[in-house]
Amino acid sequence: MSAYIDKIKEISNRLLKESKVDMVIGFRKGTVPMMNEPCFAKTPQDVDNFVWDSNCGINLANYLTNREEKIGIIAKGCDSRNIVTHIIENKIKRDRLVIIGVPCKAMIDRHKIETMFETEIQDVIEADDKIIVKGDGFEKTLNKSDVLQENCAICIHRNPVKHDEVVGDPVEEQKDVDRYEDVRKIEAMPPEEKWRYFDDLISACIRCYACRNACPLCYCHTCFVDESRPQWVGKSQDPIDTRTFHFLRAYHCSGRCTDCGACERACPMGIKVRRFTKKLEKDCLDLFGWEAGMTLEERPPLDTYRSDDPDEFIK
Amino acid sequence: MEYMGIEPGRLHFSWISSAESTKFVDVVNKVTAAVKALGPNNNYLKTMAKVA
Amino acid sequence: MSDWEPKIVSFLCNWCSYGAADLAGVSRMEYPPNVRVIRIPCTGRMSPKFFLAALREGADGVWVSG
Repeated sequence: MSAYIDKIKEISNRLLKESKVDMVIGFRKGTVPMMNEPCFAKTPQDVDNFVWDSNCGINLANYLTNREEKIGIIAKGCDSRNIVTHIIENKIKRDRLVIIGVPCKAMIDRHKIETMFETEIQDVIEADDKIIVKGDGFEKTLNKSDVLQENCAICIHRNPVKHDEVVGDPVEEQKDVDRYEDVRKIEAMPPEEKWRYFDDLISACIRCYACRNACPLCYCHTCFVDESRPQWVGKSQDPIDTRTFHFLRAYHCSGRCTDCGACERACPMGIKVRRFTKKLEKDCLDLFGWEAGMTLEERPPLDTYRSDDPDEFIK
Repeated sequence: MEYMGIEPGRLHFSWISSAESTKFVDVVNKVTAAVKALGPNNNYLKTMAKVA
Repeated sequence: MSDWEPKIVSFLCNWCSYGAADLAGVSRMEYPPNVRVIRIPCTGRMSPKFFLAALREGADGVWVSG
């Protein structure tokens, strides 16, 4: 990890010094443990604030849209796939980007760790594959592999797909991972049970839209939830409105979602919002053999037509 | 849709040319029968009063 | 509830099914009165929010036809 950060700082400083970029987007330490925040470095002094550890789960591709500067960006596997999606969708030009690839060693799940302790966590330190959690009067060592973010545990694209610079050797990709166990479980339920399952899942939702804001795909000028004429989704916490919001959010991400987990990480209520997007991600893979953000050459399945597109659902 | 608990059969898709009025009638019959068999939509219905 | 009749909101493409519906009417064919037709310029205009809105506002079924 520390080798990464030295390299990140070195590359960032070099890019800024040579004026190849106007700024570098990276992470700095947050004010609370396990919450690193994005950092826009324009000078070498800013670069000193950069950190890299297992709390860099935010998807930095989110900060690339509608910008004019030349940007250097630090990208994990999933970030790089979202950057590719942005380039395909013409949100940013490839030649204005310098992608600093970071072979990702998986992020830790702050929700999971927080629920393990009753009192406030004051400090979280990482040492190799151990996580040391400290609070008022307690200290506990956890295995990192036990507290990974769910999407990281099943990730099969840890190395950046596109990069101009890279901070380390590629990590070994996970193989033989069952990515869709939970989705299949839900698919097997009868309709009433599914209904109850999702009722339960979203019952805690406070409609704060943190999942939408954290998502690099959600860049519409006016989000459908903010439209008022006509109003597609009520703004209350009516269960149906909440459900509509989650349905539509998932639909908007279909064929584009890289399962980066930023939505789930951002949720203040710890709702597993990936249960929605993951189904559509699975469908895209099953129906079109498509994984989002893997290549710049191909158009995504939902904006192309092929005569062999599946159409059994049409009478 | 089905994944999220809406009954299969609530939502139908079809492809009918403007010359195929017989097919149109046929599909209307089928869709109506399918929805009738399912009964009223009680789940995905907003029950809370609409605030203007 | 034996006399319950479903309300079906149908989204018909102007150029295909809407034309077919028109022809069915002109030809005096009979079909169930449960469908409420909404004409859309093309099925490409269809969006998930339309049928969610339809169901939410009390439709029992939704039919999209191109």
